[in-house]
Amino acid sequence: MKLLLIEDDVTTADYVAQGLREESHLVDALANGRDGLSQALGGEYDVIIVDRMLPELDGLSIVRAVRAAKIATPIIFLTAIGGVDDRIEGLNAGADDYLVKPFAFGELSARLMALARRPQTQAEQVVLEAGDLRMDLIARRVTRGGQDIDLLPREFGLLEFLLRRKGRVQTRTMLLEGVWDLNFDPQTNVVETHISRLRNKVDKPFDRDLIHTVRGAGYRIEGG
Amino acid sequence: MTGRLNRAGILASTPLRQALGLMALVFAILLVTLGFAYVALRSSTEDTIRADLKQQTAVFQVAANPETLSIIVSAEAHASDPAERAIAFVLPDGRQVGNVRVTQRDDQWVVSRHPEYAPLSKHGYYTLKMPLAGGLLLIGESRAPIAELTSTFLAILIFSFVPSVLVSAAYGAWAGMRARRRVSAIETTLDDLTEGHLAARVPETTIKSARGDDLARIGSRLNRMAETQESTVEALRQVSADIAHDLKTPMQRVSVLLAQLRTALPEDGEAHQIAVRAGDETERAVAVFHSLLQIAQIEGGSPKARFKALDLGALASDITELYAASAEEAGGQLLLRDRAQGQARVLGDRGLLGQLLSNLIENAIRHAGPTPQISVEIARQPELVVLRVRDHGPGIPEAERTQVLRRLYRLERSRTTPGNGLGLALVHAVAGLHEAELSLADNHPGLIVELRFRPA
Repeated sequence: MKLLLIEDDVTTADYVAQGLREESHLVDALANGRDGLSQALGGEYDVIIVDRMLPELDGLSIVRAVRAAKIATPIIFLTAIGGVDDRIEGLNAGADDYLVKPFAFGELSARLMALARRPQTQAEQVVLEAGDLRMDLIARRVTRGGQDIDLLPREFGLLEFLLRRKGRVQTRTMLLEGVWDLNFDPQTNVVETHISRLRNKVDKPFDRDLIHTVRGAGYRIEGG
Repeated sequence: MTGRLNRAGILASTPLRQALGLMALVFAILLVTLGFAYVALRSSTEDTIRADLKQQTAVFQVAANPETLSIIVSAEAHASDPAERAIAFVLPDGRQVGNVRVTQRDDQWVVSRHPEYAPLSKHGYYTLKMPLAGGLLLIGESRAPIAELTSTFLAILIFSFVPSVLVSAAYGAWAGMRARRRVSAIETTLDDLTEGHLAARVPETTIKSARGDDLARIGSRLNRMAETQESTVEALRQVSADIAHDLKTPMQRVSVLLAQLRTALPEDGEAHQIAVRAGDETERAVAVFHSLLQIAQIEGGSPKARFKALDLGALASDITELYAASAEEAGGQLLLRDRAQGQARVLGDRGLLGQLLSNLIENAIRHAGPTPQISVEIARQPELVVLRVRDHGPGIPEAERTQVLRRLYRLERSRTTPGNGLGLALVHAVAGLHEAELSLADNHPGLIVELRFRPA
């Protein structure tokens, strides 16, 4: 993917750019708002990552200007400003996601992947598959190797969310937002508990694990 | 906003009430003075009429016998209109002369019309009877002047009352409408400010329209207060943003450096473990810091403009479902008792209320002993939506129940358990933002946290 990073803190910018390049993305990094905006308006990017507090032109203004120019490129805020209303303000300005510093690199990477693939229309799919796991969305039925798996409604929802994003890492916070519609960070390992219960039903009775833990990031479902 | 104009009916407006009250007072004074004048004038008119009557009898007293008197009476009767003056003489033999007829009924002499003369006075007579020349003389003066006096006074009363009612009612209505517009402008501003639109001000027209009157003074004071509040909140936002930036940026660098250190160190080494732990501690510090900022922002009046009606029961169901597995893993149980069945609608912010509930449940899981039995209850009362979280743990001593709502306060025995002492402070702040009453009580044993919301 081709990414634009507008971030004035050198340590963070270097770390993010280096990490993304290691994941074989192309990264243009800029340290001030004005240059960032002209680059965003000119270049063809898959995702734009922007800080809120920047020299010369702040992040909110950049996002508004980009949207005013009818550029639909997904934008993610990467910012220290994480107050109650700041997130809403950022999303209202036209950003697609909002990540508060300090963040784990895995979280940023997973969210970038989610944003880049967002427009795909998988809604019409009625059957989701991973390996020998089959989810029938109309009959609300899950089987693995022809064997029925009994899932609670939320377990079904969690598995569906992972299957729809097969092969891509989903972090705890992404699952909380996507499956439970909550955007705060619980102190307890609630998501881990739900994943472990899902695993007991989907993976434990079988030879091969489909739900994988990606250390320091989240979970991913595998299988062709 | 439009509802308010209807709610405060025109009769509720102070100026109209004052105008009506003043009008009633003026009318009462008018009634009393006119009443006195009427009574005085009437009695003096009556006196005059009676004096007249007496004088007239003098003419008749010169007659020595009934025959002479009946001639004088007949002459007098021909000259007088019975509507003005009635005159009759009953001779000793029972014959009558005069312009009216008189008949004795019981002890009273009753006057009736004489067929050869004009009709009687409609208003009755003041009469004087006197035995004279062996017969009885009766003279009556019409009461018409008194009737005229009464109708004149009634006319004065009506002509002074009706216009004063109309004028004061019109003035009251006009002043009432004007004041109501201005009061409702002030009310709208207050509502907007309460809802978090801190830029709301009482319009200049309301303040300027009557120089220096009470509403104008209240309006401009409200504006001054709103300005102070806005700049305080703005300052808080600025400080929060500055702190967030200045403190989080180095923290971000530290966590970046620790992440780089982790990858540089061999995974099985002790140094790697230390780097991991340092990373976790950094995260914890950030979480405390983030919560403190969040509480400060909520207490500073996070805008309520985005509040939506939501069912507390549905939200509680989502959150308990999220935590039920964790409570079971801890060897306990988390149950939802939704007695409101969809009737627990409140106005609020789903994210903040979710966090409130989640903090209460996490607290219960963490502090309610080895097998936490937790129940979340939703109940609907006529004017209340009640949310209760109960556990059977050690509870909180009564003396400390207010203090636990303060930031960073922790019970002595909780110092060793995880948690940062901000969970209940956040609950307190979110409850305050939603104008919900928060109370802690004893579950014998355990803790009950109760929140009472106003229904949406």
